[in-house]
Amino acid sequence: MSPETDVSVSAPSALDAATDLLQRVATGDQRAFSELYDLITPRMLGLVRHVLKDHAQSEEVVQEVLLEIWQTAPRFDPNKGKAVTWMLTMAHRRAIDRVRSAQSSRDRDTKIGIRDLGREYDSVSESVEIRIEHERVERALTKLTELQRQAVELAYYGGYTHSEVSTMLSVPIGTVKTRLRDGMIRLREELGVAS
Amino acid sequence: MNRDADDVMTDEEFADTRASLGLAVPPVTPSAAMKDAVMARIAETPQDAPQPAAVAAAIEARPDAVGPVERRAQARWFHRPGSVVLAAAAAVALFFGGVLSADLVNPAAGDAQQLAAIVAAPDVQTVSSPIEGGASATLVSSETLGVSAMVFEGLPQLTEEQAYALWYITDGEPTPAGLFSVGDDGTVVQVLEGSFEAGTVVGVTVEPSSGSPAPTTTPIVAIATA
Repeated sequence: MSPETDVSVSAPSALDAATDLLQRVATGDQRAFSELYDLITPRMLGLVRHVLKDHAQSEEVVQEVLLEIWQTAPRFDPNKGKAVTWMLTMAHRRAIDRVRSAQSSRDRDTKIGIRDLGREYDSVSESVEIRIEHERVERALTKLTELQRQAVELAYYGGYTHSEVSTMLSVPIGTVKTRLRDGMIRLREELGVAS
Repeated sequence: MNRDADDVMTDEEFADTRASLGLAVPPVTPSAAMKDAVMARIAETPQDAPQPAAVAAAIEARPDAVGPVERRAQARWFHRPGSVVLAAAAAVALFFGGVLSADLVNPAAGDAQQLAAIVAAPDVQTVSSPIEGGASATLVSSETLGVSAMVFEGLPQLTEEQAYALWYITDGEPTPAGLFSVGDDGTVVQVLEGSFEAGTVVGVTVEPSSGSPAPTTTPIVAIATA
């Protein structure tokens, strides 16, 4: 079992163009931004809507992120990380901020974070590449223990805090922290992504 | 943000892993109107200046470099809209004209070291603004330290009779914060005199080299803090 063999699976990707595009955007190139928009917006909207559920609110959040990308592109340093990671991180952070600030949304179905990601595919036609990547992550998630997987999914997709996850899974908060960290380390190994 | 509570979800070492989780979610097609709206907004939104080399060097030199603190600091300047700076410029233009008690002394050396100390502060705030003519100004401040520094790049040299003047503007009251000049390379790291308070505006004007009792010119840049 060598995680290195997995790396090649994710090698050529349409998203690889993101770094070049972002660097052109950094020079004020609006045409490059238009291309970057087409490339990244459906991915960010998918993630944000998965967290927030509400489509209109999700579009609002993604618009804010896109504006932030435009403004801060000159600050992006390709030596410090991938453009896609940089952009997805912003989108995820904003989605989590939004979900946590809206207390009314706390009555969200507690299973939101741990439901099957695959179900949403039914209504969307996807490229083979996205399918493969999706299945790669799904497969990696199955390598986690049940508690690790639930903790990771609740924290990442649900935006729940450690203490909320602790309550939801009925385990001590210290255990949640340990499982989360162990889970992320395992995932990183399985995905073969070196940070 | 509570670092302890969010460790794994904010740690830089898991950034790519989190992104993979994000990309595993099926894409959703945005509404057609959304792109038009976004393109219209970016067309009228100024971009940040690239991070000045002096600030980048200070961050690199920090003992805990590339930690969550830095990310938080970045998050702050990422969120600073250009319109705030424009509004601040208007405010400064409006309030400059009051009488100032002038005690303008050129700060001593060691500004780069002080900049490093500010950058290392847990509440460091960084705001950048372009200056007409292609230069840029970056204000790096910490309320707990009560200190701020301005970092300029590409700033043109003045005549011998002129100097750049820094001002703290709090509640509309400008207070002199030092004079400085620019060398050949146009790069300046200047720690402001006086105490920095959150919410203050930092302005820069061109004055006679002996200093002015009050700002006599329109500010070349003004930066608001939160």
